[in-house]
Amino acid sequence: MGKAHHAPRRKFLADLGMGFTGLALGSMLNGSTADWAPPDGQPHFAPKAKRVIWLFMIGGVSHVETFDPKPALNKYGGMRLGDTPFKDFADNPLVKENLRELIVGLHKVEPNIYPLQTGFKKRGQSGIEVSDWWPNLSECVDDIAVVRSMWTTDNNHGAQMQFHTGRHVLEGQFPTIGSWVHYGLGSLNENLPQFVVLGEPIDTCCGGLAAHGASYLGPQHRGVQLAVRPEDPLAFSTLGPGVSREEQQSEFELLSELNGLSTAEYPDDAAMLARIKSYELAFRMQTAVPEVMRLREESDETQRMYGLDHEATRSFGEVCLAARRMAESGVRFIQVFHGQNGGAGKWDAHSDLKKGHTELCEQVDKPIAGLLKDLKQRGLFDDTLVVFATEFGRTPGSEGTNGRNHHPYGFSVWLAGGGIKGGVVHGATDEIGFHAVEDRHYVTDIHATVLHQLGLDAKKLEVPGRKRLEIDLGHPIHEIIA
Amino acid sequence: MPVLGRGAFLLLVAALCCFGQEPDAVRLLKQKCLPCHIGAQKQSGLDLSSRALGIRGGDRGPAIVPGNSEESLLMRVANHTATPHMPLQSPKLPDEDLAVLADWIDGGAEYESKAQTQAVAPLLDHWSFERPERPAVPTTVNDEWTRNPIDAFVAAEHERRNLTPMPETDRGLLLRRLYLDLVGVPPSRDELNEFLTDRSPQAYEAAADRLLGDQRYGERWGRHWMDIWRYSDWYGWRKGNDVRNSHRFMWRWRDWIVESLNDDKGYDRMILEMLAADEVAPDDPKALRATGFLARNYAKYDRDGWMQDAVDHTALGMLGLTVKCARCHDHKYDPISQQEYYQFRAFFEPYHVRVDRVPGEVDVDKDGLSRVYDSDEATPTYLYIRGNIQQPDKDKELEPKTPRLFGSGLGPIEPVTLPLSSYYPDHRSFVHEDLTAKAKANIESAETALAKKHEEFAGVEKEVGVLSVAEGYEKMSAAADKLKVAEKTLAAAKEHAIALAARIKADKAKYSIPPDPDYEAFAVKAREAERKAGILKADENLLRAKLDFDKALAAEKPDEKVIGEAKKRIAEAMAALTQASEGYHTIGEVYPSRSTGRRTALAKWIGSAENPLTARVAINHVWLRHFGKPLVETVFDFGLNGKTPSHPELLDWLATELVNSGWSLKAMHRLMVTSATYRMRSTAGDLDHPNVAVDPNNRYLWRMNPRRMEAEAVRDSILSIAGKLDLEMGGPEIDETEGLVSNRRSIYFRHSPDTQMEFLKAFDGPNPTECYARDESVSPQQALALVNSQLSVEKSRDLATKIGTDHDPADFVEAAFETILGRRPSTDEQEVGVRFLLRQPGRLAAWEVTQPGVARARENLVHVLLNHNDFVTIR
Repeated sequence: MGKAHHAPRRKFLADLGMGFTGLALGSMLNGSTADWAPPDGQPHFAPKAKRVIWLFMIGGVSHVETFDPKPALNKYGGMRLGDTPFKDFADNPLVKENLRELIVGLHKVEPNIYPLQTGFKKRGQSGIEVSDWWPNLSECVDDIAVVRSMWTTDNNHGAQMQFHTGRHVLEGQFPTIGSWVHYGLGSLNENLPQFVVLGEPIDTCCGGLAAHGASYLGPQHRGVQLAVRPEDPLAFSTLGPGVSREEQQSEFELLSELNGLSTAEYPDDAAMLARIKSYELAFRMQTAVPEVMRLREESDETQRMYGLDHEATRSFGEVCLAARRMAESGVRFIQVFHGQNGGAGKWDAHSDLKKGHTELCEQVDKPIAGLLKDLKQRGLFDDTLVVFATEFGRTPGSEGTNGRNHHPYGFSVWLAGGGIKGGVVHGATDEIGFHAVEDRHYVTDIHATVLHQLGLDAKKLEVPGRKRLEIDLGHPIHEIIA
Repeated sequence: MPVLGRGAFLLLVAALCCFGQEPDAVRLLKQKCLPCHIGAQKQSGLDLSSRALGIRGGDRGPAIVPGNSEESLLMRVANHTATPHMPLQSPKLPDEDLAVLADWIDGGAEYESKAQTQAVAPLLDHWSFERPERPAVPTTVNDEWTRNPIDAFVAAEHERRNLTPMPETDRGLLLRRLYLDLVGVPPSRDELNEFLTDRSPQAYEAAADRLLGDQRYGERWGRHWMDIWRYSDWYGWRKGNDVRNSHRFMWRWRDWIVESLNDDKGYDRMILEMLAADEVAPDDPKALRATGFLARNYAKYDRDGWMQDAVDHTALGMLGLTVKCARCHDHKYDPISQQEYYQFRAFFEPYHVRVDRVPGEVDVDKDGLSRVYDSDEATPTYLYIRGNIQQPDKDKELEPKTPRLFGSGLGPIEPVTLPLSSYYPDHRSFVHEDLTAKAKANIESAETALAKKHEEFAGVEKEVGVLSVAEGYEKMSAAADKLKVAEKTLAAAKEHAIALAARIKADKAKYSIPPDPDYEAFAVKAREAERKAGILKADENLLRAKLDFDKALAAEKPDEKVIGEAKKRIAEAMAALTQASEGYHTIGEVYPSRSTGRRTALAKWIGSAENPLTARVAINHVWLRHFGKPLVETVFDFGLNGKTPSHPELLDWLATELVNSGWSLKAMHRLMVTSATYRMRSTAGDLDHPNVAVDPNNRYLWRMNPRRMEAEAVRDSILSIAGKLDLEMGGPEIDETEGLVSNRRSIYFRHSPDTQMEFLKAFDGPNPTECYARDESVSPQQALALVNSQLSVEKSRDLATKIGTDHDPADFVEAAFETILGRRPSTDEQEVGVRFLLRQPGRLAAWEVTQPGVARARENLVHVLLNHNDFVTIR
């Protein structure tokens, strides 16, 4: 195994071989598929946004007590649905057509109208009504587009997965919106993972880690879970037991030298080149990621914007601040969860809605408002798309004495920044917030809107042999696009 | 139809719906009506693509009333007695066509003609739908290279394309390749050196045979087949102990896979046992484990999803067919109609999963055998219209049938009469013995508890003299309550044992052959004893619940939930006291004594030499895992949309060879690993090699494909070369969080869609939902896992010690390379390594590492070699 004659080849590799990306490699390893090439990392058309911060509230936020005021609920509060002008709502064909109960009868259409548990006011220049539980976010209302006409097919929490993949958890695992973005677009920062997950992901009941998975797109497109915990933010990123930083570096150097010698031996091994590259990124990542997580480097004023100075807001404030730092550092898709509780999610207000939602809104209101304001003041708002979402709304009727049940027929989400119009409301539910009646949107329309703003065409991303239905792709909501 | 022209659309419709003769009227419908009345573009809500849909009709009501053309809206708009006149904006149909339509409706409006349903001949000329013919082994010029028929087929392609096969690889690398391929860990340094010095001509073949006889082979290949067969431990809601998917004791199926492979059980027999052991070996708990293949599809809340998985993955894994599309419509590529999809489902329709007791454990939540059985042979199978589970086509109950494209190979479906031990598993004597022993143990522990409470009470009695009256009263009554509970518990336990014995006696009489004339008397006694035991148990429960209730009420902060729970238990106990039973309860559940035989027929059909797909699909999977690339790229799709084989004749030769060998997988492994093709070097060593220009992707196998070890092999190999791998086999799954500290093989850790070992996940561990071929990604997370994990750091230290402490640097470098990479270092590598070992101790001291020195430097070198690309690569 003499090596002398390999020297020129080594030079050749140093010049040319190191530029492999994971994507190109994927196609090389998987063999050729005629006429198909994986994405080249470039948008398909001019993008409005470069990155996405995806805020997901686990459990089902009450739309009628946040972004979709329904005074009729107060007027008819306590009456049976059957005694009101809305008596036919439960029999509306929309119920049968759109509802798919995998666990039949588990969650009912509650028949007793439950009055609103909070007040609403017109906010900002646009006068969009937002409930009193959102004093800080209300100040940003002229920057956001509220979509009040969402619907989904399932009334159990497997719909959490649906909001990320377009398919209910019991239908299996499919690529999530973040993984599609990761798959479609190249890197903004070679030192950082491009799809990260912050906050505690949804529970295994409802999709678990698959809610930031990549399914058939391949594990390299999965979201990388990062804990907002400076000492251990990335799996296997802390030094092994008893290892010092310099010691590790000396190992990386030796490794690089030895692998380099082997490349000469195997010039046709693409995986080897990719592996060398991956060690380089790993080495940078293990320091870059903790650096991004150094939240205390931020000024006191910034920390206060996110509510880091208050017990109630600190935890989610840290997550939102980390999200901004990630966005700033070039992470492409930042998926943020709020409300993990080892089950269906904290927002799941089957009882004591008023108490629960008051607390939860308080936890997220200031941090989210802080995030929007901070993005603006740093000039990041225009090319950062922020999405606020949840799996479904809550019933106009009461569950028990003081809760609301799951409600898939009509609910609200909002989007901001990244080329989205500010201060607009799109779509509407009926008088009591039961059915989305104007400009109805299935959950994948949000995915389509996100991809559209990033300059991606979902159809062009399709993988051979993995046909997607039209409903999986959705349609961009052009009315809210600036 | 924005894209396709109308003509193209009609062709498409024709392709969707018909493989043979069809009634003229249906052809008319396709031409004149379906363009606007099908699927998503159903105008006025009407879809005429099936009989049921036509009958259901659209916004204006039913379109077809079978047997009554005059009342059929379809007919009335067509003959212009109703509006809008159809076909829209087109001339009225000629009278003869109208007559054909009317006759057809009057005759029942059948969409399929008799001739069509009876057609049996293969319908399409597609290579994989024809039974493989054994091709003649080609004679080639390169006779010297050729070692066995595999090589002859490969060489023929080389010669055709002017490719030169690479020479045999370095002997050490070859042995490493063989070890990793057959047992999933590399050879030890001793094994390597022994092989390198063995000059006998058959040394390599002997090594192959030895490894095929090694128990680790079953684990290595077990994991491969577990990928294909979708192994998953149970999942759902672990915190709530709620098994929602897969089943509790899947690990027994895993052990069956490992054992079956080690025993070289025929692949056809494995299929038979996995699909129907409950019918062909109902009395054999070892064989019954195989039905984990079907039990794995269990889905607590989604019977249809469960059935779909059973159908889809049996077809994907065993037949290389994608039938899933036909859930909602006729398959667009393969000749599988929607109806045939549901006929295939009918084989599985009656099956369910249950847990049988195993000796030594009466609690089936703790241990048991998860296995399948036919629970209800009368469950009908219907086609779901457009795949919508809310819309079964109840007009037609579907019989189990294999798709017509395969012809008439399905044998008769004969119901199986099951033995008593199978349909009444709790009647087996070990269950009686275990339950009796358990009842006895309960009495003993109740007696012990009671004695203790007596003591405690006596103690309190002594103590009260010095307490205040109130305090004394409280203590006394608390002790008295506990005593009472213990007394009642013992009474209930004793009575339970009596009742159990009476019930066993009655059961034995009931199921004895000939029937025991005293059965009635025993049954009455059993009922009385059971009733008495029930009363005593309810009495005990009532007291316990009442005490808990009082305690909850008296608490400083009464907890509504605890109070509610206690109340509920009181009510339950009261209800139990007033419940009367007609007869005694048998010891366990009695299941149907007959099984439909459907799955046996299916398994025999799949595992038949006549089946055109089974052997080809299996051999392709084996080939993939030896050569890094399959012969048919689409390992799960051999249909019209799949890829054609790179070596069609080789595939067919191997498929027939598999069958001829009695479906012996070991015979196939041996053939493959001893071929010259397998022994080639994995690189041309030169980008300008002429082969590279001709066949850059190595489709025609002019070199070996280098591969990255699978996740399990990475972990197991680290443990193995460090001398730490625990070779204990089998048993319940180990918690996945133990992965970095336990030394068991990776196959034994919990693996399900929501619980996977982090380390394995980083290396593309199998997706338990579907994994017909592994991904081979390269990611920074893998680098981090190998650099920073406790596993790699600690095992490097073990390994450095194991390699030896008395070597000089050059010897150490050589030993480390041989142990970890299976090869000697090159001169350059040797030089770099030695330089590192000499320089590192001084640097370590400067970095204030805890134990700097030569030993630490060696650990560093070993750790680096574990991260070397050549460690995770099978060259």
